[in-house]
Amino acid sequence: MADDRHGSLSGLTESEARQFHSIFVTSFVVFTVIAVIAHILVWQWRPWL
Amino acid sequence: MWRIWMLFDPRRALIALFIFLFVLALVIHFILLSTDRFNWLKGPKMAAATSQTYSLPATVASNEK
Repeated sequence: MADDRHGSLSGLTESEARQFHSIFVTSFVVFTVIAVIAHILVWQWRPWL
Repeated sequence: MWRIWMLFDPRRALIALFIFLFVLALVIHFILLSTDRFNWLKGPKMAAATSQTYSLPATVASNEK
């Protein structure tokens, strides 16, 4: 366990980093989809270009 | 790409990201509220109120007739 964290500045192991990264990417995609929908709605309301 | 979380502490990165996104959203919303075209609360009404103010002398003139 101590060897897994060797060389890791954040203190996460590889598996922990992979696990957090998958959650992070999923959250980012959800956020981006919501933002794109919001922008489409605002563009329909009042286009800005 | 996942190796970035071995460099940066996820807790600090998430807090920084949330604060950044919140401040950015707040700034963008206030900028939009300050414009006439994109003020979704009283943008058109403000324009109507302004035109009413300008048309006030004409209204007064029509009342005098």
